[in-house]
Amino acid sequence: MCRVIDLSRLCSRLLPIAVFIVVVSLCGCATTKSVREEYQPSAEFSVAKGDDVIGRLAYITLEKGDTLPDIARHFGLGINAVSAANPGVDIWVPEAGKRILLPLSFILPDTPRKGIVINLAAMRLFEFKGDIESIEVFTYPVGVGTEERPSPRGQMYVDHKVVRPTWHVPASIAADHLKKGDPLPAAVPPGPENPLGEYAMYLSKPGYLVHGTNKPASIGLRATNGCIRLYPEDIKKLYANTPVKIPVRMVNQPYLLGQHNGVVYLEVHAPPEDIDTIEFDRMYARLKSIEKEPGRKLDWSRVKKVLAEARGVPFPISEIGNGRGIAEPVEFSHPTELYGRPEVPELKKDAWSVLAADLPDEIDAVRLAAMINHQGPQIPARVLSNNGSYRVIAGPFRDAKEARDAVKRLKIDLEIDGALIEPVRKK
Amino acid sequence: MKKSLLMILMMVVIAITAMGCATKGDLEKVQSQQMMTGAKADQAAQDAQAAKASADAATLKAEAAAARAENALKMAEERERIADEKAKMADEKAMLADEKAKKSDDTFQKSMRK
Repeated sequence: MCRVIDLSRLCSRLLPIAVFIVVVSLCGCATTKSVREEYQPSAEFSVAKGDDVIGRLAYITLEKGDTLPDIARHFGLGINAVSAANPGVDIWVPEAGKRILLPLSFILPDTPRKGIVINLAAMRLFEFKGDIESIEVFTYPVGVGTEERPSPRGQMYVDHKVVRPTWHVPASIAADHLKKGDPLPAAVPPGPENPLGEYAMYLSKPGYLVHGTNKPASIGLRATNGCIRLYPEDIKKLYANTPVKIPVRMVNQPYLLGQHNGVVYLEVHAPPEDIDTIEFDRMYARLKSIEKEPGRKLDWSRVKKVLAEARGVPFPISEIGNGRGIAEPVEFSHPTELYGRPEVPELKKDAWSVLAADLPDEIDAVRLAAMINHQGPQIPARVLSNNGSYRVIAGPFRDAKEARDAVKRLKIDLEIDGALIEPVRKK
Repeated sequence: MKKSLLMILMMVVIAITAMGCATKGDLEKVQSQQMMTGAKADQAAQDAQAAKASADAATLKAEAAAARAENALKMAEERERIADEKAKMADEKAMLADEKAKKSDDTFQKSMRK
């Protein structure tokens, strides 16, 4: 006996089911898509008792025109940290679309958690507040002394503080500048030419300061004469938060061991070709001691890998058995504007400019323009293509003097022979 | 007597003729055999020639295949050599680019001093 099926009734029953399936599928797609968070800048972290690791790693996808110094500054990092965490990524012309690691997690130095502690190897400053039961730590990236003029190690304190300091040029630095053909006055008043920036904290060790800078791109570099430099926005906060007489300890700890939520982490800042033997042996002894703790099992192959890569990022080196470790890295959305990115004004025909270079390779030209833009004070520069070559033009400058000063700075600081370009005179 | 001589002569002739017929038959048989043998020989010769031609063709074919294989090997070696050269040039280019970038970074770091 045949059964007659009413198709219209069947369709009306199936339609809601079909709609339901489509909606659930879309929801499924939405949950599997990675969620990007917006970065909320914060230098403050709570430290639980027995805990040594703060922060959380993150990723970001680069866009055209990004430079690692600009990314570093926006996310409160030094250029060294971003570069070491992302080996092989071009600092000035990184590939658009490249996903890079932001090393926003740190192992606290192995010191008493009191006052200011600066780990020169990690180029990072930590300021501890509170007591042993409840510690808050504020952390900022820093620039430190060169090999020839290293930052001092040891215990000192903040002797006094000055807003809008005058830079009294030390004799040795004056001599160096004279040799370069760049004589300095005995004192540099506050302003854009002052390398101390807007705030300075003078340390008990004479001649050494913790101060701001007019060269923000130097944070994360060994470029000072022994002082500690901070981004302008960071020194402002630190200055406000730091009383006189607060202890300041400077250490050099390239190998950091720490625990968080039952997991042991290792953070390495010294590449294998630059081993600090004393610190290495100290770290090794600590590792052997940790291994003896009941229930601990270190992954020595991981230890070797972390030592070889020296990426300056905390990596787990013990089995994450019962321990949870730090949270998984978060994915940040690219900010609309990068804080502190140098602005490049339009070139004007009626203003002076300087031809810094005429290069056959576009990447080389973009790199040079970026380096010029990140000078302190900034020298605005851009790339103009010209019949198969790429011109790096600095400017616009108000007058011939300003343009000549730029030519001089380009020669002394970047070894570039710039050529003045006169403005187009109105007839 | 004449009749008996004639009889004898006739018998001799008949015998000789018979013998001749027998000999002719044999001859034809022999001739036929010879023809068959000849044909067989021809066939054998033809077969031999065909076999030789076939063998020659196979040899040629094998030689051609060997030549193609050798040629293919040579071309593969050439391609490998070109790929190696390209890889070497790419490595040198990358090394130069790295050196340039490092030199730029060193220059920039110097420019960041006070």
